[in-house]
This record gives sequence, C-alpha cells and structure tokens, in this order.
Amino acid sequence: MKQIVSVTLLNLRSIPQRWGMSLATVLSIALVVGVLLGFMAMANGFRATMQGAGGDDVAIMLRGGSMAEMNSVLTRDDLRLIEVAPGIAQDADGQPVLSAELYVVVNGVKRSTQTEANIALRGVGEHAPALRPGFTMTAGRMFEPGAGELVVGEGVLREFAGFDLGQSIRLGQNEWRVVGVFSTGGTVFESEIWADIGVIQNLYDRGSSMQIVRARLTAPEALEELSAYAEEEPRLNLEVLSERQYLSRSAGGTTNLIMFLGWPLAIAMAVGALAGAWNAMYASVDARTREIATLRAIGFGGFPAFIGAMAESMLLALAGGVIGAVLTYLAFDGITASTLGGGFTQVVFDFAVTGDSVVQGVILALIVGFLGGFIPALRAARVPLLAVHSD
Amino acid sequence: MTDATPLYELKGLSKRYMRGREATTIFDQLDMTISHGDFIAVMGPSGSGKTTLLNLLGGIDAPSSGEVRFEGARIDNLGQGQLAKWRAANVGFIFQFYNLMPTLTAAQNVEMPLLLTKLSAGERKKRVKTALDIVGISDRAGHRPRQLSGGQQQRVAIARAIVADPKVLLADEPTGDLDRATADEILQTLQLLNKDMGKTIIMVTHDPAAAKYARRELHLDKGRFVEKELA
Amino acid sequence: MNDLTLVRKNLFRKKLRAVLLMVSILIAFLIFGVLGAVQNAFSFGVNTAAQERLVTVNRVNFTVPLPYAYWGRIQQVDGVRDVAPASWFGGYYQQPQNFIQAFAVDPASYLAVYPEMVVPADQRAAFIEGRTCALAGRALATQYGWSVGDRIPLMSNIWRQTDGSEAWDLDICGVFDDLEGTYPTNYLIFHYDYFNESLAYGRDSFHWMTLTTVDPARNDEVSQAIDELFANSRAETATSTEAAFNAAFMEQFGNIGLILGLVVSAAFATILMIVGTTMVMAVNERTKEIAVMKTLGFPAPRIFRMVLGESLLLSLLGGLIGLGLAWLAVSGAGAAMAGVMPGIALTTPTMLTALGLMLVFGLVTGLLPAMNAMRVRIALALGKI
Repeated sequence: MKQIVSVTLLNLRSIPQRWGMSLATVLSIALVVGVLLGFMAMANGFRATMQGAGGDDVAIMLRGGSMAEMNSVLTRDDLRLIEVAPGIAQDADGQPVLSAELYVVVNGVKRSTQTEANIALRGVGEHAPALRPGFTMTAGRMFEPGAGELVVGEGVLREFAGFDLGQSIRLGQNEWRVVGVFSTGGTVFESEIWADIGVIQNLYDRGSSMQIVRARLTAPEALEELSAYAEEEPRLNLEVLSERQYLSRSAGGTTNLIMFLGWPLAIAMAVGALAGAWNAMYASVDARTREIATLRAIGFGGFPAFIGAMAESMLLALAGGVIGAVLTYLAFDGITASTLGGGFTQVVFDFAVTGDSVVQGVILALIVGFLGGFIPALRAARVPLLAVHSD
Repeated sequence: MTDATPLYELKGLSKRYMRGREATTIFDQLDMTISHGDFIAVMGPSGSGKTTLLNLLGGIDAPSSGEVRFEGARIDNLGQGQLAKWRAANVGFIFQFYNLMPTLTAAQNVEMPLLLTKLSAGERKKRVKTALDIVGISDRAGHRPRQLSGGQQQRVAIARAIVADPKVLLADEPTGDLDRATADEILQTLQLLNKDMGKTIIMVTHDPAAAKYARRELHLDKGRFVEKELA
Repeated sequence: MNDLTLVRKNLFRKKLRAVLLMVSILIAFLIFGVLGAVQNAFSFGVNTAAQERLVTVNRVNFTVPLPYAYWGRIQQVDGVRDVAPASWFGGYYQQPQNFIQAFAVDPASYLAVYPEMVVPADQRAAFIEGRTCALAGRALATQYGWSVGDRIPLMSNIWRQTDGSEAWDLDICGVFDDLEGTYPTNYLIFHYDYFNESLAYGRDSFHWMTLTTVDPARNDEVSQAIDELFANSRAETATSTEAAFNAAFMEQFGNIGLILGLVVSAAFATILMIVGTTMVMAVNERTKEIAVMKTLGFPAPRIFRMVLGESLLLSLLGGLIGLGLAWLAVSGAGAAMAGVMPGIALTTPTMLTALGLMLVFGLVTGLLPAMNAMRVRIALALGKI
C-alpha cells in the first residue's frame, strides 16, 4: 500500500514535466464532455419545458387518429357529449372544469434572427388558466371575452419582437391589442399567445369547431372512466390521453433526435480523445521508464507502477470531465432557445445542465481515462529491470 | 589552390562562454595551421577546449573573435545556410556515440549526406556501396543501428563521413565507447583513410594509445598548444 | 531514399503513436464529413428549389389556407407563366406512424412548375388523365414497395370525407425520379379535384401555390403585384422565392448551422491540441538527430520542410481515411434515409473544404515543431559545449 501511494505520488508530481501533453489531454476530454453536455442540456431543457407542463389529472381529448392537436377537429356536438362525461371535475357552480381550445399558427419575428417563425395563437375558454398549474398574469389583465385582445406568454415575449404590453398587432386582416402577459413557470404554454376562442373561430372561419378539449379530472384514476365513456359512446370518435402522456408524445421526437445526434458525436469524439490520452500516458510511462526500472530494482513490485500510471490517467480525465462540465454549465445553462415543437409552432425553452447529465459526462470522461491509461499502465508494470541503464 | 595554401589557418582565435554570470575563456588569441593530408590527435584534460576547437573547425560554432580560414577563405563569418553547404561539401564528422539515425538502415544512414548532392539514385547507391566496402561493413548494409555492435556502428558512421568525399574528417572521441581491439580496428581504418586516400583527419581523444595512430599530437591546456611530433 | 522516405520513417518511428494520432484525426474528419452531409440535407430545399420559382402563402402563416378562387386570379397577373396550387394532406399509410408527405395538386400545372420531376411520358399522361391517380417519388415508392398499378388507401390525420371515411383510395399511376440527386423524391402527389369533392370541411381552399414567371428578372415585380391584388382582403398573401421560403422554414428548427459548426470546432480543437502537443514532443525527442543532420550539412529550411511534411502527411493520411469512412457512412445512411430526409450527401464543396482543412491542420500542427527543429543549435543539442 505504501508502495502504491509513493509511486502514485511520483506519477502525479511528474505531470508538470509534460504539462503540454497533460493539458491537451485534459482539455480534449473537457471538450468531449462539453459536447455531450451541450446536447443533453438542449434535450433536457426541451423535455422539461414540454413535460413539466403535463399533469396527470388533466385529460386531453382529440379526434381519434389525428395524433396531434393541429390535425384534430371537434364539433360542438362532440363538446356537448364531453360536458356530461364522467370523471370530469366540477367547479363551485356545478359546471365541468374544461376548456375547448383551437389554435392557429401565426407568424412572429424572432428577436435573434429577425426571421419569421410560427407561433401558436390559441383560442381558449374561461377555464383555461385553471387548467394550467402555476398560471399567473405577470402584467396587465386577462382578455375580455369577445374582444380583439391578446395575452402573451413570457416565452413569446422573450423570443419574439413586437408583443409588448399595450402594443397593437396586425395578424393578417385583424388588429389585436396585447392586454396582458402570463407565466406558467417556464412550461410550454408560455410559448403561446391566447385569445378568446369565439373570436378566433370567427376570424379564421372555423365556425363552431375546436381542436381539443382539456378537462380537469376528479382524480388521475378517472382517466380510465373517461376513456371508457368515450369508447362506448357511438357518436364520439375521441382519443383520450392524460396531458402528461400527450406532451411526452409531442416532446419525444425532438428529444430523441437531439440525443441520437448528441451521444454518437460525443462517443466519436471520445474515441479521438482516447487516442490522445493513450498517447499522453505512453509518453508519461516512456519518460519514466528508467525511474520505474530503478524502483523495481530496489524492490518495488510491478503493481504499484500500474496503479500509479492508472491514477495519473484517471486524474487527468477527471479534471477534464469536471472542467468540461463547469464550462458547459457556465456557457449553456439557462440559455434561451426555441425550436419547432410538436404543434408545428415554436417552443421556447431554456438549456438545462442537470446533475444527472453531469454525472454521465464525468463517467464518460473516466471511461476515457481508464481505457487510455490501461495499456500504458500495463507497460509500466512490465518495464524490464535492465531499463535502469537506458538513457 | 596550391599546396602552399594550408587547409586550415586559425588567426587570433578567441572563444568565450557565459556560464551563468561568469565568463569562461576557452581560447585567447590562438593561432594554428593545419596542412593538407595531416592526421592530428588533439589531446588534453577535460575542459581544455578540445571539442570547442573541433566545433570551430567544423563550422558548427563561431569564434568570439579571430579568423578561421579554410583553404584560404574565411568560414567564421559565413551565414548558417552557407556553412551548411560548406560542411556538406568539405567536412565529414565522426562522433563518440556514432549518432546514426535509428530508423534507417546502415546503407540509408550512409546515403544521408548524398541527399545534399545532385547525384542520381543509381550513382548514390554506387557510392554508398564503395564507402561501406572501404570500412569493411558491406555485409551489414541492410541492418539497423540497433542490430549492430558499437564497432560496426562506428564503421557505418565513418562510411557516412567519407561518402561525399570531403577533404577533412573531424572525429570526436571516435573510440571512446569501444573496447581496445575494436578501437584499434577503427583507428587503423582512419589511418588508412589518411594514408591511402589523403583525407586530413583531426581527432579529439583522451586515449594516448589512440593518439599514436596520428601523425602528430597536439596537447591543449588552458587554451594553449603544446605540440609533440611523432615519429 | 529521398526526403519523403525520411519523413515517412520519422512519422512511423513509434507506430502506435502515429496510429493513435491518425485515429484522432480520422475521427475529426469523419465528424466533419457526416455533419457536412447532414447540413447539406438541411439546406437541400434551399439549393434545389429553383431560385426562380415563387411561392404564395397566406400572410398569417403558411398553415392557414387560401381560397380556391385565388388560383384563377393569380393566373391573370401579368408576368405569371404557370401556377400550381397544392394542399397539405397529412397522410399516413396503414399506421399513423407511417407518415407520408402527400399533396393534393392540379397535376398538369404542378408538373409544369417542377421540371425536375422526371416521369416517363406514358406514366405522365396516365397520371394527368386518371382522376384517382397518384404520382409517387422514387424514394417513397421504394420505402413502401409500391409499383405502378398498385392501389393504396392513403389515410389523412387532418381531413375527412363526407361519409366519415379518412382514407382516399389512390392508384399509383407513375413514379417520378429526379435529375442526379437534385430534387427530393420522398413525397406523393394526387388530384386536387378528387381530394376536394368529398371533403367534409375545408373545401375549396389550398395551402400554397408555386408559380413560375415568364422572366425571373420580373420576380420582384410579380410578387408585389400578387400581394397587392389581395391586400386588405380576408386572406392576404405573402409571396417569396421558393428558396427563401424553404430557408425560412428550416430556420425555424433553430440555428442548425451554428450547432453543427460548434461541434465540428470542438472536434478540431481536440485534435489540434492532441496532435499539436504530440508533434512538438515527438520532434523534441529527436533534437539530437536533427543536430546530426544539420552537422552533415542539411540546411535549416530543408529540415523545416521535412518536419512540416511529417505533420502534413499525418494529417492527410488520417483525414483521407476519415473522409473515406464518412463517405461510406453517408452513402449508407443517405440511402436508408432518402424517404425521411433527402439530400444527405457528401458534396464536392464539402470534400474540397475537408481537403483544405487537412492542409491547414497539417501546417498548423507542424509549424511549431518545424520552427523548433529549424532552430536546433548543433553544439547545444549534441551536448558538446
């Protein structure tokens, strides 16, 4: 044990002699971890925005087979049947807590690029805020039913120009006034603009149709009851999902795409960094061949030499992993971005470097360190005694 | 050039080094003449300036003041590029530790100086063969230095030194790392090169036995010569 | 033997080291090649869309429909040659997961506007004639094993017929190819009239119109004329070139170019450090040999060139193998993904850029060690002072 400690210390003390290669190893591993964490921060941020919104006690009902809200069409007859469905909570007046919703896609101008991008303009009913946990008006007031008034989510305000409180906006033929700003605590709903559903139906020739109905369940278990009702009612062709299920389904594609891109890239780069680490460790062992042989000659075993080299390699890798994680956190955590989400509209989200992803990044770094150090360390353990005389 | 012009003429040669803050004087106002066809053994204690002298003669170090003339022309004021060209054309070096390229075969090592000439590949091959023959190591042409003994490596190094047919060979302790018998063989080879091929040789050595092979010995002490003519 | 022999021998002096360096360079160029191909796919619509074609959509957003009557009115606009209206069908085949890009179009005008679509004359005629005919792209037809004469039910997750059915029965009357990978063949078109006549809702409207003008120089003028025609109407229009429209759509996914650029930079920064420091170290190890070469009379510039040649050789070897692997990967993935993401391909500009990068990389990593080598002082290096 004493042998191991002293040989390991000899190794670590020799790092500064090869600071160039050691630094290159550390930084290259840091870059690998940085790339991985960057992608994970993107995927995690997007997923958190989408799924953070999804409650188990909120049901989403859309036309069977339509898959996404945008493709769905429900009629007033459908709504009447849903209003009397079992499992839906009622408010103080005995009215079912549900919101028929319809959105159209409108163009907004992104602040960052000055290009047009899709925003969801959602027509909602009076219960809509109650169906979004954490909903608050952060400025102004709610729109008046029947009026050409809008409230905008904070995400829209951050990413798009021209939606400030009090401003008038022309969307197509129609003049709208922004009367309020709302927050839902960073979830996907903040990427939307809301108006009265009646006004949207009227202005966009949708008659009395809607796309989805959102309803508060009496309890998460009531979802089955509601599904069974929809199934058995011959006049209804509905897909009933919990909000959580629905939003995970919408988020899944994008999140998976980011991860499918991120991991292979990180692994490919890790192989490159592995070559670097391997190289650096060979250099380290080569540089100390004589020293190791001398230790062997005076009675040290091969194992401490192995451990010493491994410790050096793992330490460099760990340093790289930590530096990569810290830099990624500083550079990316909290950065706002937006991309095209499931509803064909922009979802504004913040990059999130999570503890879990940091752990994965550091593990990747340590794997690089382990593999990079293993063979050179074996070589260190097998240095022949005659190498004492080498120059 | 006539025989009247000596091969080397050193005039008022001084060399000083800064060792830390202290200035060390190796030579001060040294004069010396070396004629064509000479074989000089330079001897003297460590630090007497033997190797520095060799470096100055070989144009790989410059004097602090004074002149080094080679066949009447000054070389001490030449630029690095001109010196390289001059070395390639006129000087062959032989080192104590052979200094062969470990990645090259014996033949390829010998061929190195010829890469600095305009000779064709065929012509180069012929010259390499000749040089290896002269030092008697043709049978090891395809071996790498690591596969050769010390004496064999030094033979390859000598072949490399003579392959471009230089006028002078500068040898720094050529037998310093060899056993007596091998050293004698190497020294006989050098003697042969001097006698039969007319190469001027300047050899630095510690070994009085090695110095016996030279035509004359020069003893350097504190930057001054004490000459001793051999029979 | 020549200088190249020396360069090669020096490079492979420690074989394992050289191979490791080559692997890391290889990886960087593999990443470069593959991401370059992906980027090409993202900009595919922008490159292939004739810069000369125009697209007219609803000013509110391209997902908001325009009235059918606009088709006739736009044809009257001075300078317009062909106008092709199209509706987004939102199709799938058998399972909702089997998403099919399908547009309901006016066959004759659509084929007139897209000359890139290569269709045998008899299939072309059959498609235009047959009311229930569909024309499928080669990649799509291959993906689902369709051939001419097949009858397929194409489901929609948007539209419904008056009888409640969501399936339109289509006959594959033709398969279109493209000219040398310049146009996506991952979609299907069929008759707008057949689509429209049985629609339960949203009848007599379409999502966009692609049009050509008599002279591309008049595009700006024609665009303005069209948008002015419908100004202050219930459905205002926005007209732009197809290239600009596609670019704006791709832009919505986020700054893909920036992300790919960052990844490639990270990969190159990694190998730059690894290879750079290793080369410095490798040359330092040889200080004595370099001093001997100088003693033999090798001039400093020649030694400089030889060390630079070593890093260039390393960069080219690793880079070319990496690019070759990228080419293999891209050809494989490109064929597999032609239906989903057309245009994944290693283009000549990408390969030339890669070559340029190899040279730059070789020079950059070799510069410092080459300078060091050039500056080696013989007397010092041989330990003889």
